[in-house]
Amino acid sequence: MPDDPSFTSRRRFLQWSAVAVPALAAAGAPASGQAPSADDRPTFFSASEWAFLRAAAARLIPADALGPGALEAGVPEFIDRQMATPWAEGRLWYMQGPFVPDAPPTLGWQMRLTPRDVYRLGIAAADGWTQDRHGRVFAELDPAAQDGVLQAFESGKARFEQVPAAIFFAMLLGNVREGFFSDPVHGGNRGLAGWKLIGFPGARADFMDWVERDVAYPLPPVSLSGQRG
Amino acid sequence: MATRMNKTDVVIVGFGWAGAIMAKELTEAGLRVVALERGPARDTQPDGAYPKVLDELTYNIRKKLFQDLSRETVTIRHGLDDTALPYRQLGAFLPGDGVGGAGLHWSGVHFRVDPVELRLRSHYEERYGKGFLPDGMTIQDFGVSYEELEPHFDFAEKVFGTSGTAWSVKGQVVGADKGGNPFAPDRSNDFPLPAQMRPISAQRFGKAAAELGYHPYDLPSANASGPYSNPYGCQMGPCNFCGYCSGYVCYNYSKASPNVNILPALRQSPLFALRTQAHVLQVDLSADRRTATGVTYVDAQGREVAQPADIVILSAFQFHNVRLMLLSGIGEPYDPASGQGTVGRNFAYQNMATIKAFFSGEVHANPFIGAGGNGIAIDDFNADNFDHGPAGFVGGSPMWVNQAGVKPISGIALPEGVPGWGSAWKQAVAEYYTHTVSMDAHGAHMSYRDNYLSLDPTYRDAYGRPLLRMTLDWKDNDIRMTRFMAEKMRAVAQAMGPKALRVYVKNFGDHFDTTSYQTTHLNGGAIMGADRRTSAINRYLQSWDVHNVFVPGASAFPQGLGYNPTGLVAALTYWSAKAIRERYLAKPGPLA
Amino acid sequence: MKRRWPLQRLKRLLIGLVVLGALGFLAVLGYAFWPTHTRAIAAPASAADAALIERGRYLALAGDCTACHTAPGGKPFAGGLALASPIGAIYSTNITPDRRTGIGGYSLDQFDRALRHGIRADGASLYPAMPFPSYARLTDEDVRALYAYFLHGVVPVAQADRSPDIPWPLSMRWPLALWRKTFAPSPDAVAFDPKRYPDERVARGAYLVQGAGHCGSCHTPRALTLQERALDESGAQYLAGNQIIDGWNAINLRGNPADGLGRWSEQDIVETLRTGRNPHAAVVGSPMADVTVHSMQHLADADLHAIAAYLKTLPPVPGAGPGFAANDATAKALQAGINDSRGAELYVDNCAGCHRTDAKGYSRVFPAIAGNPTVLAREPDSLVRLILGGSSMPATVAAPSALGMPGFGWRLGDAEVAALASYLRSQWGNQAPPVASGLVARIRAEMPGENHASEEAAHAR
Repeated sequence: MPDDPSFTSRRRFLQWSAVAVPALAAAGAPASGQAPSADDRPTFFSASEWAFLRAAAARLIPADALGPGALEAGVPEFIDRQMATPWAEGRLWYMQGPFVPDAPPTLGWQMRLTPRDVYRLGIAAADGWTQDRHGRVFAELDPAAQDGVLQAFESGKARFEQVPAAIFFAMLLGNVREGFFSDPVHGGNRGLAGWKLIGFPGARADFMDWVERDVAYPLPPVSLSGQRG
Repeated sequence: MATRMNKTDVVIVGFGWAGAIMAKELTEAGLRVVALERGPARDTQPDGAYPKVLDELTYNIRKKLFQDLSRETVTIRHGLDDTALPYRQLGAFLPGDGVGGAGLHWSGVHFRVDPVELRLRSHYEERYGKGFLPDGMTIQDFGVSYEELEPHFDFAEKVFGTSGTAWSVKGQVVGADKGGNPFAPDRSNDFPLPAQMRPISAQRFGKAAAELGYHPYDLPSANASGPYSNPYGCQMGPCNFCGYCSGYVCYNYSKASPNVNILPALRQSPLFALRTQAHVLQVDLSADRRTATGVTYVDAQGREVAQPADIVILSAFQFHNVRLMLLSGIGEPYDPASGQGTVGRNFAYQNMATIKAFFSGEVHANPFIGAGGNGIAIDDFNADNFDHGPAGFVGGSPMWVNQAGVKPISGIALPEGVPGWGSAWKQAVAEYYTHTVSMDAHGAHMSYRDNYLSLDPTYRDAYGRPLLRMTLDWKDNDIRMTRFMAEKMRAVAQAMGPKALRVYVKNFGDHFDTTSYQTTHLNGGAIMGADRRTSAINRYLQSWDVHNVFVPGASAFPQGLGYNPTGLVAALTYWSAKAIRERYLAKPGPLA
Repeated sequence: MKRRWPLQRLKRLLIGLVVLGALGFLAVLGYAFWPTHTRAIAAPASAADAALIERGRYLALAGDCTACHTAPGGKPFAGGLALASPIGAIYSTNITPDRRTGIGGYSLDQFDRALRHGIRADGASLYPAMPFPSYARLTDEDVRALYAYFLHGVVPVAQADRSPDIPWPLSMRWPLALWRKTFAPSPDAVAFDPKRYPDERVARGAYLVQGAGHCGSCHTPRALTLQERALDESGAQYLAGNQIIDGWNAINLRGNPADGLGRWSEQDIVETLRTGRNPHAAVVGSPMADVTVHSMQHLADADLHAIAAYLKTLPPVPGAGPGFAANDATAKALQAGINDSRGAELYVDNCAGCHRTDAKGYSRVFPAIAGNPTVLAREPDSLVRLILGGSSMPATVAAPSALGMPGFGWRLGDAEVAALASYLRSQWGNQAPPVASGLVARIRAEMPGENHASEEAAHAR
């Protein structure tokens, strides 16, 4: 294990995070509260973070012949709104130390970072890594190059100093899926795009007439607010 | 200085199934009961109000109903030489919180028990010889028989409004070719409700299993198949397969819960009081440590409160019971090196394998249609229903399609090789979601000398008290068993005619993975038995050491079952309550 | 515990209008002030007789005295419950046997004059929030029993009565005497005669319904001068319903097959009074839920059967009204996935999960919509209020589950609620006129804020 380059990278990360996280907290989140809340302007993310997030979402679930993608479904807005929840502040998690971030993955999350930290540090590192390799930030790459970059993050081939690339990627992908498939009340899944893609009926929650019928379910999805897809 | 409340007859710690059953039984016996629940008040209205509860992000993903780990969690390590680390995020298991406990967010699979599993060590030694059990395996007998528990299984089913198909009632076979389970033990009465409808995916599983010569049966389900009024007068509405079951408050009064099936009746009793946001810190003992004097808890305002009582019921979730015993000094902590001590001993889990079968567009699995307890299962490889000799492992597993409602964020499985994002992923989720059948082998998990519970030396809860430490890992026996089960289940899956299969099964060398959900069926740690040297509580769930402390729950199981544990937890709790009512009250003292 | 009280709104109107109306009748001041002479009844052998006290306790339950005379969180029968009116609140009185602040000093005759005649010990008239026109039918023996109970079976509580908030001159009580003398029957004139009924059981039911139970206070339509149009079955409007009490419609209890009890069995009525639910319908709204919990569930089985038997003798209100003729066309279309109107869509998206596409619901758990009197009532207020804000069944000893329906006001706009209610009133064989969105808007405005459509819901449409 110690020969594994990812191990040393994680070690370095651990050392870094011990100083960086308190420093981040002391400095205040760089962009938090900078923009008024509006449909198209993020509350948590800075302009450059927002550009990354939108570009990444558009590649993780692209708009294509099957219909709208994450961008059209409002996934970046969903993630921005999630950043204001207790989850994003790590308040749903046990966050007392000591932290042992290089523990075996089977023991789960052992970093002191919250989701807010992961995004703040991860997007900066991702754009930095992309700038180093491609001379431009992620959002300015063409889609094919973006896909290559995302694969490097996903596989951990990309090395971030501050937050492991694969962990950042996994959180990003998880949140993108959440935004695509959760009820629109949370800001994503606009037009019930995610549910219509796969045939999920949403908050319908009554299938008494359909349990034993081997047919395609005929009714459109419905959201918590009562919107029909 | 703790506020001191007026003494009550009984104090109950934790208001889930076990706590609610005890409260009902003991108020019926004329005792004043104070139930302490550390989580919030919860009920169908408003917490389960339709349609607001139909929100996967809030419930399944952000896990609204589960234990607040920020205040207290457990630590986990794989072996005695490892350093345990905190379970910081909910993953492998999801303990409940609030009124109803895990009984509010469970799915409702409501089994009895295979009688063999109540006397597992004796049975294996008799059939396969003493040498058959591997070194370090510490399985043992419960100390109570199926015949003794049968009336309590029967009554619990009536309270839960359980839907199912009986195989035999009073020795008469009634369920052949109707969905009864030929391996099920005899019953004194039929199920209170007929089995639920069979979704397409369950029907296909049953058909394939029958073609292979197995014996498919209707899963017994505490999701009501019709309108129902239980012996307490509490009512259930029929389950409509809404699919929001495990992890949710049932909006339809269809899933049995302490909240729906017992609490309404308790509310009519002037002897009963329920205090929420009352976090019990410890059981208070007398100077000689042979009796409990009550409990100390922290209330919603953060004040310490002493609640004196004549009887203390520990009915929190499995590992919380064990932790409270350790924190309070009830019984001797287990030491894996010497094998001495009992509290923390025989900690066991569930040994799962899962297969996803992907079908062409003509098969409409419609996995959003679901009910947590419904499905079709086979018991041909459960318990000791087959010859374990050639198989070379201990333990069995029911297998089933238990379509509980598959949601898009957490639940879309795809064939191997499909990327996790991009247009190819999008194409695949569109193609497969409504045509995927999921099936599980829900394996028993044996107990071992070095899988146990103790207090953590490092990590603390919000009150400064040590967290509970789990030491748990898979043994060769477990891997052999789950791989055997996965292969048997693969054959059934293949017989269903899928386009592709994906098998999720552990490999030799795999460690317990705390991050991916398996089950919340944690067992043992305060186990029952006939010998006080190897059990923390006697066959009536009474502490061997502190006779007015009773500890119902899956913490009493000496090993994990093939079946889901709730049915046995309920029956054992009624069994214990009967002993309290009929014997302990007349003459308080050790019952065994 | 927060309790809602029946009659409050009605009483508010009643009090206000009686007071205002009476002011115009100065010319009959003399009539008002002329003292009412009442027959003094004989005292029992012993007022503290246990059997008599028990009989009184039972009658107090049947009369639901606690509904008005116990304030939320207050001591039993110590009064103090505010009954709001447009001209100021009045407060129920202390009827515990405390000598100074309660009725401990009342003689049997004084007690009787208050109970059956509506006259205070000082000769002033009671506000007719006190249902003395109904209690006029109580027998002398039952008055003695109630007196024994309130004097010897209730714990005395020292709690001074609170004066009404009504300002002078509206607070003058003499106009109340006019109303009383004009509309309240003399007990001797309406002395209960069991021989008017076909059998003893029906007679017992009639006595309970008309007397202690004072069912007509809510369920009988009132005249412009606010007296009940009939106090017994001699009037065709007796218990004909469609009175709005605290926003909820007191349903027609007569034999009409659609909006009345025509298709209910005697057992259905008994179950409803005992448990708030029966195989096809349930108590909706707080007023009758409170009556069920505090009063009806405690009555003897024989008395509930007697009440039911009497109600079943009441013929339908004459004339055309809502109808019901079971028809499965709606169910068949919905079960085939056909949602061919906004009403059908709204039904499937909001209601069918519990009430099913066949609108038959499930016995005692989820009420049927097909043929349900609350759905079919001439005045659809309960239906609209239920859709907007939901309701729970009363939790009783025999049926402790307070099964609840959530409100949908946050999810549905006025036009949608109107479309949905109209759909409910016109499908599965239901035949009742449509509901206008204006009515929905008016009812919504009376309700707490959480029932108002959220911006989210509005935005989604």
